[in-house]
Amino acid sequence: MSIQIDLNQPPFSFLSEPQRQWLTQKLDLVFFQAGQVILDQGQVSPGLYIVYKGVVEESDGNGQVFSQYGREDIFDVRAVLESACKHRYTACEETLCYLLPSKDFIQLLNDSDDFSVYFKTDLGTQASLVEQRDSGGSVSEFILARIDDSSMRSPVYVNGQTNLARVAQMMHEQKYDAVLVRTAKGVGIVTGTDLLKATLMADKTKQSKVAEIAQYDLITVEYGEFLFSALLKMTQYHIERVVVTLDGDIVGLLELMDMLSLFSTHSHVIAMRIEQSRTLDELVVAAQRLDTLIRSLAGQGVKVEAIMELITTLNRRLLQRAYDIIFPQRLRDRVCIVVLGSEGRGEQILKTDQDNAIIFQHEHEREAVMPLLNQLHQALLDFGYPPCPGGVMFINDSWINTAEGWQAKVGRWLGSGAPEAMMNMAIFMDGEPICGDKQLFQRVKSRWQQEELRSSMTSAWFAKPALQFETPLTFLGKIREDDGKIDIKKGGIFPLVHGVRALAFEHAINDTSTLKRLDALIERSILDEEVGQGLKDALLLFIRIRLKQQLQLHSDQPGLSQQLDLAMLRSVDRSLLRHALHRVKKFKQLLVNHYHLENF
Amino acid sequence: MRYWLRRQMPGFLPPEGRWRHLGEPYHGDEVVVLDCETSVFDKRKGELLSVAAVVVKGQEILLSQALDLTVNSNAKTDENAVRVHYLRREDRSAGVSAAEAVEKVLDFVGNRPICGFYIEYDRAILNRYIKRLYNFKLPNRFIEVSEIYVSQKRRYIPEVQLDLTFEGLAKDLQVPVIERHTAIGDVISTALMYIKLTQFER
Repeated sequence: MSIQIDLNQPPFSFLSEPQRQWLTQKLDLVFFQAGQVILDQGQVSPGLYIVYKGVVEESDGNGQVFSQYGREDIFDVRAVLESACKHRYTACEETLCYLLPSKDFIQLLNDSDDFSVYFKTDLGTQASLVEQRDSGGSVSEFILARIDDSSMRSPVYVNGQTNLARVAQMMHEQKYDAVLVRTAKGVGIVTGTDLLKATLMADKTKQSKVAEIAQYDLITVEYGEFLFSALLKMTQYHIERVVVTLDGDIVGLLELMDMLSLFSTHSHVIAMRIEQSRTLDELVVAAQRLDTLIRSLAGQGVKVEAIMELITTLNRRLLQRAYDIIFPQRLRDRVCIVVLGSEGRGEQILKTDQDNAIIFQHEHEREAVMPLLNQLHQALLDFGYPPCPGGVMFINDSWINTAEGWQAKVGRWLGSGAPEAMMNMAIFMDGEPICGDKQLFQRVKSRWQQEELRSSMTSAWFAKPALQFETPLTFLGKIREDDGKIDIKKGGIFPLVHGVRALAFEHAINDTSTLKRLDALIERSILDEEVGQGLKDALLLFIRIRLKQQLQLHSDQPGLSQQLDLAMLRSVDRSLLRHALHRVKKFKQLLVNHYHLENF
Repeated sequence: MRYWLRRQMPGFLPPEGRWRHLGEPYHGDEVVVLDCETSVFDKRKGELLSVAAVVVKGQEILLSQALDLTVNSNAKTDENAVRVHYLRREDRSAGVSAAEAVEKVLDFVGNRPICGFYIEYDRAILNRYIKRLYNFKLPNRFIEVSEIYVSQKRRYIPEVQLDLTFEGLAKDLQVPVIERHTAIGDVISTALMYIKLTQFER
């Protein structure tokens, strides 16, 4: 007999086919009338209920609602595992549930490790299990792969005194294309191409010492970094291998050819295109490919964290390349272009609007630079980044200033305490310098990291907007939907990101990404490990679910949509979302207590 | 009892021997919801193709113990009937014999009341087989879902126009129709209607 619920989604997808077959034979069907109590506090649950139709509400005896369960949701795992029910479960409307008897559920837990891990672990592990299962391809594993022994070759060293003929002999015999050279100057590298050039195009002979032609400014990557960051370095420097170091020691070589055989051609091609573009038109072509790349990575189930990192790198290279093309050499180090907002935090995936600012070294550069800025702005439009509706762009007067001017502005913003000034500060605080002289931004940044500007009053004013939108849970504690939709930015992402930003501001934490800020807050014991980790999980979940729905939209600017259609979510995601929103709600309460916002 | 039965149904004896318990009065709170699919829709000629039954206890449908049998029958199926129940001759070849199916049904049902939608038809079909095999007719109490429905409706609005099709009932009672025209699917929907009509406050 077939069952009217989809068992091919988590947690049931963790079961083997025979286990699922077995499960369907164990299910009974129970019909509840509206208002009927299905399970009450202290009651022993006959088993696990899986909602087929209807809505079930979880509450305490006093009417406080914790959660709602709809189609394919499961309850109450705890009552089965812990022998008694902590809350009351009521059918809000006529509800049909499949019932898996306790003993059969426990049998499945014993028979399947994945299944039991899913039920017995916290939200983060649940989410990652779900993500793992979602990913099918091997490409994703590669993107996620870090540089380790399997991807690199062990280095071969020669003495600096070795002659070129001997080196060539060695390379030929051992099939190496590059060797490391140990000399008094340090370690250098010599490749087959170097040997050819030296003997055929320069005046070196077979007997010349290899130390003379070795190159010493090695391009290195750290053992354990993402493979694609090595790839980006190779394209950036036009080289075909990088040296892998571990705690400063060389441990291996990473070859482009080895990587290409593994790497998703898409991201590689785009990175290459960006690096090799000589005109803006060529960049536009590369920029247009980004969305396809995101689509394919997401489709392959690559973790959202990895996609975010890859896209951030590519976005920034894109801006930098455009800058190099537009700005003449002599002006390049006189300004600093800063990306702000989500782009600054490295949390943008699909293109949203432009958020950026510029810092001049001297006011008198303004006249020469303005036309160039307009060109750069136009280039960004062509790349597909729409203009910022709030005008936070380096073509607008309020986002152009000298370092000194910015310092003064930051002081005024923080001194005023006005909501608008505080939001400007928040946007600016996420800035990341991308083009030009990055020191200029550091000078401005050090201004708000000084103690006297971060009085407790200012910090509180700064934190306050985190509370301006209601969590779509606060109303009675269930997911509140407007026409089946919630605004995930207002309801989840913004309060979380801004709250973390406020704490980072208060404690002068230098990082811009929310995840890194959370790490820093945990490290300094400002947040509990558990709270911090929970918020990281929640943010990644919001971004992942939003991206998934954005990709299903057929609009020109899917990146701008913040609406989540709850009906489109798989039940497991809905349940994770509920948990994550609860975390945000608790975090907001923590902010209220911490900043005494109840007085504002 | 025997005397009464003999008077009610002249020519037939109540069940004896192995099936004696079927004639005993039932005191429990369970009913069996049952549905048969046949080769043609005809009390006298329709051959049993599949039969499904499920025990309903309170608000619970004991799906895990459901009876769902396909009968290995050679009966030529009406083209229209196949379109209704989707049981081709090929699908039936894996089934059990009609005699075996009837035996299993009797074992499953016991002396519990039997409930269904247009249960008269299923009763007639089963009785035809049982009479031939064991020479008795089902003595169980029969419950017609649409009858309960009508009497409940009439109680409130006597002159209402009722849609007494299976779908009509399901729609009005807001009961999901699960796999219409498979015996087990119809059984589940009928069971839901029965629960709703008898257990829920109206």
